Amino acid sequence: MGDLLDWIISFLFLVTLLIIVIYQLTCLADLEADHINPYDSSTKINRVILPEFGLQGLLCVYYVLTGHWFMAILSLPHLFYNIRLYMKKEHLADVTEMHNTNKGEQKKRLYKIAHIALCTFITSYWLIHSALGDI
Amino acid sequence: MGTENQGYPNFPARPPPPSSSSPFASAPPPGVPPQSGGFRPLSQPTRPFTPSGPPMAPPVGSMRPVQSPFVSQIPGSRPPPPPAYGGPPGGVGGGSFQRFPAPPPPPFPGAQNPPPSGPPATQTLAGHLSPFRPQQPMGPPPQTSGRPGGYASPPGPGFQQSSYSGVGGGPQPSFPGYPSNQVLQAPPPMPFQSSSQGPPSTYPPQTGGFPQHPGQQNLHPSYGPPTSNVQGLAEDFNSLSLSNIPGSLEPGLDPSSFPRPLDGDVVPKSFSEMYPMNCHSRYLRLTTSAIPSSQSLASRWHLPLGAVVCPLAEAPEGEEVPLVDFGSSGIIRCRRCRTYVNPYVEFTDSGRKWRCNICSLLNDVPGEYFSHLDATGRRMDMDQRPELTKGSVDFIAPTEYMVRPPVPPTYFFLIDVSFSATKSGMLEVAAQTIKSCLDNLPGYPRTQIGFITYDSTLHFYNLKSSLSQPQMMVVSDLDDIFIPLPDDLLVNLSESRSVVEAFLDSLPLMFQDNVNVESAFGPALRAAYMVMNQLGGKLLILQNSLPSLGAGRLKLRGDDPRVYGTDKEYALRVAEDNFYKQMAADCTKFQIGINVYAFSDKYTDIASLGTLAKYTGGQVYYYPGFQSSIHGDKLRHELARDLTRETAWESVMRIRCGKGIRSSSYHGNFMLRSTDLLALPAVDCDKAYAVQLALEETLLSTQTVYFQVALLYTASCGERRIRVHTAIAPVVTDLGEMYRQADTGAIVSVYARLAIEKTLSSKLDDARNVIQQKIVKALREYRNLHSVQHRLGSRLIYPESLKFLPLYGLAICKSTPLHGGPADASLDERCAAGFTMMALPVKKLLKLLYPSLYRVDEWLLKASVDHDDVKDVLRRLPLAAESLDSRGLYIYDDGFRLVLWFGRMLSPDIAKNLLGADFAAELSKVTLEEQENGISKKLMRLIKKVRENDPSYHPMCLLVRQGEQPREGFLLLRNLIEDQMGGSTGYVDWMLQLHRQVQQNA
Repeated sequence: MGDLLDWIISFLFLVTLLIIVIYQLTCLADLEADHINPYDSSTKINRVILPEFGLQGLLCVYYVLTGHWFMAILSLPHLFYNIRLYMKKEHLADVTEMHNTNKGEQKKRLYKIAHIALCTFITSYWLIHSALGDI
Repeated sequence: MGTENQGYPNFPARPPPPSSSSPFASAPPPGVPPQSGGFRPLSQPTRPFTPSGPPMAPPVGSMRPVQSPFVSQIPGSRPPPPPAYGGPPGGVGGGSFQRFPAPPPPPFPGAQNPPPSGPPATQTLAGHLSPFRPQQPMGPPPQTSGRPGGYASPPGPGFQQSSYSGVGGGPQPSFPGYPSNQVLQAPPPMPFQSSSQGPPSTYPPQTGGFPQHPGQQNLHPSYGPPTSNVQGLAEDFNSLSLSNIPGSLEPGLDPSSFPRPLDGDVVPKSFSEMYPMNCHSRYLRLTTSAIPSSQSLASRWHLPLGAVVCPLAEAPEGEEVPLVDFGSSGIIRCRRCRTYVNPYVEFTDSGRKWRCNICSLLNDVPGEYFSHLDATGRRMDMDQRPELTKGSVDFIAPTEYMVRPPVPPTYFFLIDVSFSATKSGMLEVAAQTIKSCLDNLPGYPRTQIGFITYDSTLHFYNLKSSLSQPQMMVVSDLDDIFIPLPDDLLVNLSESRSVVEAFLDSLPLMFQDNVNVESAFGPALRAAYMVMNQLGGKLLILQNSLPSLGAGRLKLRGDDPRVYGTDKEYALRVAEDNFYKQMAADCTKFQIGINVYAFSDKYTDIASLGTLAKYTGGQVYYYPGFQSSIHGDKLRHELARDLTRETAWESVMRIRCGKGIRSSSYHGNFMLRSTDLLALPAVDCDKAYAVQLALEETLLSTQTVYFQVALLYTASCGERRIRVHTAIAPVVTDLGEMYRQADTGAIVSVYARLAIEKTLSSKLDDARNVIQQKIVKALREYRNLHSVQHRLGSRLIYPESLKFLPLYGLAICKSTPLHGGPADASLDERCAAGFTMMALPVKKLLKLLYPSLYRVDEWLLKASVDHDDVKDVLRRLPLAAESLDSRGLYIYDDGFRLVLWFGRMLSPDIAKNLLGADFAAELSKVTLEEQENGISKKLMRLIKKVRENDPSYHPMCLLVRQGEQPREGFLLLRNLIEDQMGGSTGYVDWMLQLHRQVQQNA
């Protein structure tokens, strides 16, 4: 039963992360299509970046605490990447260079999405597995 | 020059053209000038149909009669050679017909022209040709102009080249790539064939014509003895021999023969002549005036495809941009792509419709704008409509183009009054200058002005017109900035004139005993922003020390030499604190343009401060170690210029390109508001922007491409206007044509900006390598283009249009932002120079990259002539130590400073006359002042002239004596870019390096 709860909680974590990153991606895409100006776009993105990083960190800690080592190791690269960005102070969107860096930023977020989606997929598998196993 | 003489012996070695030539040998009937006969067929576009070898010759021969009348016309079109000829054979549309009307054909004068310019050359050559020599009493230098063959000579190399290039160009559409070149292998011998049959006169015309080429006259005599260009007649390119000449013991390297831009920037004329309705090159310069037709072609052209735009460039008198008011009908624009009406739109349907030249949509002509068409389809009122005849116009914008009523010109000053500012005298000079400019600020009587001063606290000034003395308010809470007085900090200048003057008079006195060394720059900036954000305008920051208090305080970084050479090095060149970027972005949003003046002799982190100027479309002025006695004049002039030059307020700029092309990136000082909209809060004539273009479609279907630069701005008088520059460029399918139409100035300008941007994300070394690699790639591609048809041997070949590119590339690598390592320039100097160069217009940049060096002592001693224009009386010298003679007096001028170099053995009389009594003193302490004698007056007149020629910056006069180290090295020797200094390469080594790399995998 505890296992099922773990999976449900981590699943919720992942879905929230996914939503946040997709939201950032839409902001960038809007900027590229000129639906939004760089000021608004960067404010919108920067508002959710720290929550995203925090959430991802929490998720890792949660995996470790609940003893899901494989999932923890799987999310480590993402965590390290986030920490590195933060240390280099490159985590926030730079309003002055938004247009020039847009392509690269979008790509970064696509990779993130791919990674989170992979985690989500595995998690949902275990979620179902443990739910069925309990019956 | 080793140019071609090494190639000369190649002739015999060329494969004798047995089959294809024989029909030719018989072909030229006596009547046909053998020369043209030999040559003309080359330009025939028939090549594609003939595979190669024998079968092809007959059709060519048969075609020739058709062609030769054509030839007789051509000599006239000599001046703009490449396009004139490159056009038709290449099947390039557009150019082919326009070129004919352009230059009136003066066949004979043309033929006489060459001799004066290149006598020595012809002499030598004539030696080879003596049997054929002057059969006509045609004037001293033995030209063959009298011969029938000579007839064709006037065209000069350009002509010949291009006619040849026709061959290269013609077939390419059908056989893109090298194979077509192979097909062409047969033709080249033909000229030789014909010449062996009759006149070797083919050679002299070449040489005779050579000096005619624009930019090659008046060169330093050591440059390019045309003698050696023999083989060039068949070649489309220039070349340098970079190895030993066979059979000679001496090394074949002759540095004096290397091309040097001693004439300054030469704008390719062909383009503007071809399309007279284009905007002037001072506004828009394309890196190549021939746009590639396909992406694959564009990628083979390794140089940047782009343009440099200077929307408000100063026009000489009589060429001002006309102002057009459409009144009630509104501005005529294309419904779909929003292009402004321009000379290239077509009116159809008896004047009721017009076709947009950029998107080819058919638009209705509004009733008020309607005009009947004449028989040729021209509008009857064409001559009264500048927007239909001129490439550059100003439209008066109606209210739809305003977000708010046009703002008055606003000047706000943020002045550092800490200890160093008063001690250096900066405060006094600045206050005096501002006061003296009050009358000339643009926009009277609406001009707004305001001041904030700061040290460890902020001082606001109430300048309300009803006061007799300004009131000062001090705010010392730096964490929570508030504006003590909402209204009267920014006041109307004409109303508060007396208060403002009283303030400026008292400003230096108020702070003369200030011993505060702190600088609350960040809070002051924020306060200024809060005062200004209603109106926008120009914010002038006079900063004397490193910001040390409050938000945006900066650390002393950059004094750690260990960081250099590591991967973190670049971080020193970008803003440290995000505060600056954010402030810059906010300022741009509220139409505030920031100019930064920095004066400190210590580290002030220009990298961070400059960010403010970079993203608000401003510029950085840097006066390291400011002393009012030395730098006072410079500051006075430049501040005055900044305040009084015509400025466009709250502007945005967009560059529209024809179908299939788009702008891919922009480089300069501005912020992108949307993907293709440049936000420029305050822009003036001294700012230029570079844009790179990309092809959107794999293949361009049109024959020409249009570019339209539109700058929407508020003029100082309060009128909203749109400045529109329109240009057209032909689309070509031939790489050679792209090279021929290249504009070195624009390319160098784009490269310099790319390199400076590169230094913000990587090491200096990498940035320099990038430039070198780009040039190598371009030259390699060019070599590949020609290596099949020519035996290039160990020559370095380059197109005529790009002959200065390698040198400018070297100059970029040796420019202040990029050269050397940490010891060679202080970090601040580097960054300041970087910000400055990012905004410079092409001409100014080229002057900075390859400054002029004149020897003046002889000229000074000569009896005075009154009309002494710098260019006429003084000869530019190559920038090498060899040019310096210790008996001479030299002036080095890079547009930012004038260095007077006194040779060690210069006659003491001159020095005495120029410097007065203290001529023997340490020159660093001497300032140049006018003395009561002819020589001094003459020199001062010259310096004045140099300064007047380009008022955008005030070149400061520095004196240095030979051997006075380290000043000499720092001021002059380091800037002799052709020399090897420290770890950097000299011109010769640079060329060798390029050449070696070009040949690798060639």
